[in-house]
Amino acid sequence: MELAPTICTQALTRRFGELLAVDGVDLRVAPGQFFGFLGPNGAGKSTTIKMLTGLLAPSSGRIEILGIDLNAHPVEVKRQIGVVPEGMALFGRLTGAEFLSFAGRMYGLDRTTAAQRAAELLDFMQLADQPKKLVTDYSHGMQKKLALAAAVIHGPKVLFLDEPFEGVDAIAAGTLKSMLQGMIARGATIFLTSHVLEIVERLCSHVAIIHQGRLVAQGSLEELRAGVEAQTPAGSDDDGVSGEKLTLEQLFLRIVGGERRTEQELSWLG
Amino acid sequence: MSSTLHRRGQLSAIAELRWRMFVNGLRSKRGKMELVSRIIVTAAFALGGLGGFATAAGLSWFLVSQDKAELLPLLLWPIFFFWQVFPVMATAFTNNPDSGELLRFPLSYRSYFLIRLAYGFFDPASALGCVGLLGILLGTSFARPSLFPWTLLVLLTFALFNLVLMQTVFAWLERWLAQRRTREIMGVLFILGMLSFQLIGPMMERVGKKPHPEFSRATQIVTQVQAVLPARLAADAIAQICHAHSLAGFTSLLFLGTLTLAVTSLLHLRLRAQFRGENLSEAAARPVVAQVQGLQVGWNLPGFSQSVAAVFEKEIRYLARSGPMLLTLVMPIFMLVIFRLGPLNPMRPTNALSRTPDMAFPGAAAYALLVLTNLVFNSFGGDSAGVQFFYASPVSFRQIMLGKNLTHASILLANTALAWIAVSYLYGTPRLSVSVATVAGLLFAAPLNFTAGNLLSIYSPRKRDFSTFGRQNVSQTTVLASLGVQIVIIGLGAAAFAIAHLYNNLWIATLLFLVLAAISIPIYLIVLGRIDGIAIRRRETLLAELCRA
Repeated sequence: MELAPTICTQALTRRFGELLAVDGVDLRVAPGQFFGFLGPNGAGKSTTIKMLTGLLAPSSGRIEILGIDLNAHPVEVKRQIGVVPEGMALFGRLTGAEFLSFAGRMYGLDRTTAAQRAAELLDFMQLADQPKKLVTDYSHGMQKKLALAAAVIHGPKVLFLDEPFEGVDAIAAGTLKSMLQGMIARGATIFLTSHVLEIVERLCSHVAIIHQGRLVAQGSLEELRAGVEAQTPAGSDDDGVSGEKLTLEQLFLRIVGGERRTEQELSWLG
Repeated sequence: MSSTLHRRGQLSAIAELRWRMFVNGLRSKRGKMELVSRIIVTAAFALGGLGGFATAAGLSWFLVSQDKAELLPLLLWPIFFFWQVFPVMATAFTNNPDSGELLRFPLSYRSYFLIRLAYGFFDPASALGCVGLLGILLGTSFARPSLFPWTLLVLLTFALFNLVLMQTVFAWLERWLAQRRTREIMGVLFILGMLSFQLIGPMMERVGKKPHPEFSRATQIVTQVQAVLPARLAADAIAQICHAHSLAGFTSLLFLGTLTLAVTSLLHLRLRAQFRGENLSEAAARPVVAQVQGLQVGWNLPGFSQSVAAVFEKEIRYLARSGPMLLTLVMPIFMLVIFRLGPLNPMRPTNALSRTPDMAFPGAAAYALLVLTNLVFNSFGGDSAGVQFFYASPVSFRQIMLGKNLTHASILLANTALAWIAVSYLYGTPRLSVSVATVAGLLFAAPLNFTAGNLLSIYSPRKRDFSTFGRQNVSQTTVLASLGVQIVIIGLGAAAFAIAHLYNNLWIATLLFLVLAAISIPIYLIVLGRIDGIAIRRRETLLAELCRA
């Protein structure tokens, strides 16, 4: 029997005036999936994730998270999810511990539990050695780690991450990845957007690709590969070496139809 | 392309950028509202400018025609101070984009320097300063037409000096404001400076009562020093020519020119450093030894939910870390001290305000409410991108607003209590009827302020940096709306006290305030109850405004 999806959208649409940013997207993310949401710049990734987390109202369509209608019961949904939005949503003039403690209490933890978890998370994220430093004085990577810590302090069942690895160094990225994998192992569902396809390929079990506001592919990496290979005429392996598995980057380029511009253009350049 | 053409192209591109920024800002309804508000504010400034022009023209005409041109510093000093001090103090009207951002483009140093000067030239202070100088030019020329070319030359030099000095001050301020810590120190020093400025009047008054030889000595020194300062030099250059002392006039102008060059070289030093690229990184080195801190348990507010208590704690921590905000909040007490030294001195036998404690306490309480407007009318301004957290969290905006209003109410309560103590200590204990009427007045005024503030915080938010002073990007709509609310509140308060005075019974004022509170508190609660819906409807505007880089 198929499990009810953790994230489910039906004909999710968002218009900005004349622009149709997200056009009838039907997403299904099963429990426990590490789900990568990909697309070229301006495809509608951030708009979608904002709608899924209640930061933006859809023009039409329906969103269910953990079987709960987001529009009808936003607070109930928000209680069970964690979010790292595009701008990280930090309060710069608090210390890391104060911010995490604040975040925990806003998610309904009691004062002591919030403080204990804040201390644990700071320690795990290697942010505990400068307890008096204000968040505004953190480096970009430290802020990313703190934003992720705030998103998980209440132990969410679903985690939404918008570009979590952007501007993060290799050491910090390793810390973040191990934490996310730990969460998946304990049954959480993670939905992330990223431009770094290698990371998505390594972490995610399932992906969806959005292009010009429309969902053009969705499934496990194997399913996507099979779909692309089925549509490719035999022997026309223009990107990869014949016989090897297509990488996510190759899949992405084929699905989105992106072509690499070469030197025939911009002849004046260098 | 020649370098002159290249530079001209860059300058016109920057001018076009400013124009496009202005035009594109009008696309939204809010942008159009801002324009209307700006037009109203500009009209008010224009009126002020016209007054300044008429005063400058009339007085300079009088001084020159009476052969008292040596008194022209009386006009030039105020213009100088206005030109230099107003841009630092004005928060709403000097929102120049960071010209340092232009450095990524291949601008020549000369272009960069010119752009900085051009930004300064379009500052309202420069415009009003120039209008004042134009008044002096016309007044002087009407009194003695032959002075026109010389006065024009002197005043142009004086204007250039002011323009360059203003840009120099800002360039150095920017340097010190670039880092949080220096920014906070500067903020505190600035406000202390402003506060000290307030003390000058009362101190002078006190000193003037009896002879102080050291004071006369200091006055002599100040007089000597100001003789070589720009306002006096400019006035002297005109006055000496008036008295046919050409050499002395030229010497004064030469000195003024030299001062202008000296200030220009200071500006050059700063701008050159900016142009070459300087590292003002905030990131501090990691400490070698890790600091250990115990478990920090959040605050508890009996009777309120965890989330309200968390918001309250966060707001208090924000304020406690903002030197400029803290100093603003203690202003009511400071003003009581100033008035104690000056016009409201109860010891003064001729004082018409014979019952000063009864005046001082309501005044201080009203001022305590007034200093909160910065916070109340832009509650989310300091949160910036953090506002996303509020939208993503499972907490209603009603609770978030309640937490914020609770902070504002606590500050008001603390300020009012401190004001009462200060009034009792400095002026004598206010009558019970006055104290009760004042508290009742706050019961009416605070909810009304909070209601308007909560709505404007959502409808017209602006990002605010708690660590800086001045030059904040303030919404013109909020400025006008808050002014309107304060006028209504002060008007009703004055009316209540007037009626009570008419019947010679101050308890009537209490009664009237309680009736008004019985109206304003339900209004506050109704709006608070609907704030969730409003916040949801306005979320895109709020997030777009506060989360922008």
